[in-house]
Amino acid sequence: MKMSLHKIWLIVRSEYWRRVRSTAFILATLLVPFGFILVAAAPAALGYLAQQSSTKTVAVVDQTGRLADSLAAASDAQLIFRPVDRPPDSVRAAVRAGTYDGYLLLSDSVFTGQGGATYYSTQGGALTDQLQIEDRVDRVVRQQRLRAADATKSVLAILQSDTNVKTRTLREDGAGADHTLAYTIIGYAMAFVIYFAVFVYGQYVMQGVIEEKSNRVVEIIVSSVRPFELLMGKVLGIGAMGLTQMVVWAALVMGGLAGAAPLIALFLDPSSLGVAPDASSQAMAEAAGLSIPTIPFDLIIWFILFFLGGFLLYASLFAAVGSAVEQQQDAQNLLLPVMTPLILPILFLTFILESPDATISVVLSLIPFFSPILMMLRAAITTVPVWEMAAAFGLLAATFLGMIWLAGRIYRVGILSYGKTPSLREIARWVTYR
Amino acid sequence: MAHLDVSNVTKRYGDTVAVDDVSFAAEPGRILGLLGPNGAGKTTTIRMITYIAVPDVGTVHYDGRTVGPWSQQRMGYLPEESGLYKRLGVKEQLVYLGTLKGLTRAKAAERADYWLDRFDATDWADMKTEELSKGMQQKIQFIATLLHDPSLLIFDEPFSGLDPINSDLLRDIILELRRDDRTILFASHRMEQVEQLCDDICLMANGEVVLQGALRDIKERFGKNTLVLEFDGPDSFIDELEGAGLVRVNTRSAHRAELTLADDTDARTVLDVALDRTDELYRYERVAPPLNEIFVDVVGEAEAERMQQQSVANTA
Repeated sequence: MKMSLHKIWLIVRSEYWRRVRSTAFILATLLVPFGFILVAAAPAALGYLAQQSSTKTVAVVDQTGRLADSLAAASDAQLIFRPVDRPPDSVRAAVRAGTYDGYLLLSDSVFTGQGGATYYSTQGGALTDQLQIEDRVDRVVRQQRLRAADATKSVLAILQSDTNVKTRTLREDGAGADHTLAYTIIGYAMAFVIYFAVFVYGQYVMQGVIEEKSNRVVEIIVSSVRPFELLMGKVLGIGAMGLTQMVVWAALVMGGLAGAAPLIALFLDPSSLGVAPDASSQAMAEAAGLSIPTIPFDLIIWFILFFLGGFLLYASLFAAVGSAVEQQQDAQNLLLPVMTPLILPILFLTFILESPDATISVVLSLIPFFSPILMMLRAAITTVPVWEMAAAFGLLAATFLGMIWLAGRIYRVGILSYGKTPSLREIARWVTYR
Repeated sequence: MAHLDVSNVTKRYGDTVAVDDVSFAAEPGRILGLLGPNGAGKTTTIRMITYIAVPDVGTVHYDGRTVGPWSQQRMGYLPEESGLYKRLGVKEQLVYLGTLKGLTRAKAAERADYWLDRFDATDWADMKTEELSKGMQQKIQFIATLLHDPSLLIFDEPFSGLDPINSDLLRDIILELRRDDRTILFASHRMEQVEQLCDDICLMANGEVVLQGALRDIKERFGKNTLVLEFDGPDSFIDELEGAGLVRVNTRSAHRAELTLADDTDARTVLDVALDRTDELYRYERVAPPLNEIFVDVVGEAEAERMQQQSVANTA
């Protein structure tokens, strides 16, 4: 097929610029990451604020006579235990009057292990409060029991030290890289980003084609360039726009997280994470599972390749559908064969996540229509041999070439056909037109 | 400047034959009118000339070579009902379309300025296209067609949607382009426009060429079988003449009638009846038939009727 790269370039440039400088694009590009960070940070921030706002004072009615002092000693800025020596009735009245936020009744049965600790409050107690109180009571009771059993100091020390489990995965490069959870998240994120990007930018392409057709500008354009050149220019121009948007988003989110990690670390209590109180914020963030593991460079390269491959493959099909209709609504039926292979891999995500190395996972991730999503997921969570990645990409590229040829055949007839929306069978016939 | 030769061209879409063995030629310095109702194959023929579609059979040559991307650069095409990118600025749009025709950006900008000035539209340069009225947009499209100084120009219904003043401006420019020895193709189903502008005509119906040649020759060939009458007084004599099968009525109003003589009717008969029955006869003239009538003659009443209706619908 003869084509003019110069013409394609002219179209790419125009399609790209006219979109990138639009207000809608600039707003979306700048605001979406803020929204993303906001949504991600909101629960933590809210929890922190809620915690800050209230110092809880809890009255302790100790019927064992052995725990009150140790509990009082375990008070901190947010939770103060105050032993009282009054009958429960008057304590209850004091809680209702607001003198205390609640009261803790410790009965003798605490030591026999049959519950025995009851917390009363006017608000039914938030979950974090309950957990914190439980934690302290637990510790104090344990100490008392150990002391009663005459445990030695060394035994006490052993029992008191927290054990933080660190996970490490063995990789080919030998280094004990960690973050199984993080890589699962990255894999999921990459799969979904590719899915959404292909979906959204593919729709852009379809919209662009429909607009050109219903504006009737397309006939002027194809009297200057080949329809295939217009198709390629449009797909590449919008692809470049999408890549620009994603790079800006990635930069903003990375920058945001890099700035946010030390901030979040400020809110964390070093002792509860089992790191030294004077540990660096990075060490703390890591202990809390908050750090971003460095994404391997080759994974990023594969991500870009598979995104482009997936986008080009699907965008050409979206363009073919767009060329056949005059309005967005008419496209619904025709979109079915395009959307189905795009959505299917989402159904396999969980399965592949659980057994990324199963034969069926390998086969699914090699299928060109699925590989941009499924192979990226596998590449992130397990060690995929390079030949598998290369094979998947090769198949994807070959399928893209076949599909863009097919799409071009449909497109050149579709853009000049007005009137009734054609059926799939009619569209199939267009391919054979000279 | 160069000839356009369409030779034995056939184009099918599925089972439909859109264009069937069509041949004609267009000369530099002349305007060729491509005529026929919608569905006659005009647009398909034009698309093959503009290399938007490729013929199944036959060839289209321009300047002695088969048309292709090279000829697209030398040709300006204003499609019927065409539009522009709504959200692009007027000048940016013109420059873009110009570069697609092979102009450099600087050259395209320079020529856009010249033509905007010519159309009194310099103020629109920075406006978005969607802010312009339909007529203004039509002008911008016309400029886009001329921007790269093409030697072959194809206008498909260029006057639709234009007010009389702009129609005149456009017609003047088309005639000016003809003086520059360009080859001009003008497609329309409005016979009176074709009669005003064209040197040659090519009449199409159902995908075939049914009549072609120089307009003057064709008119002569059909002879002076048409009468124009202008009168005062009762017009019932027209009904009687028609009822007797002596004439066919082309157009008719209260004081004017255009009649076609039946084959063996003597023109004198009509004159006698008219003098006898009207209060006053201002005009009696025997003329060549209007293109409309020639068309009826060639393609038959039904087809001509269809075209009349389209013409009315389009002007309304």
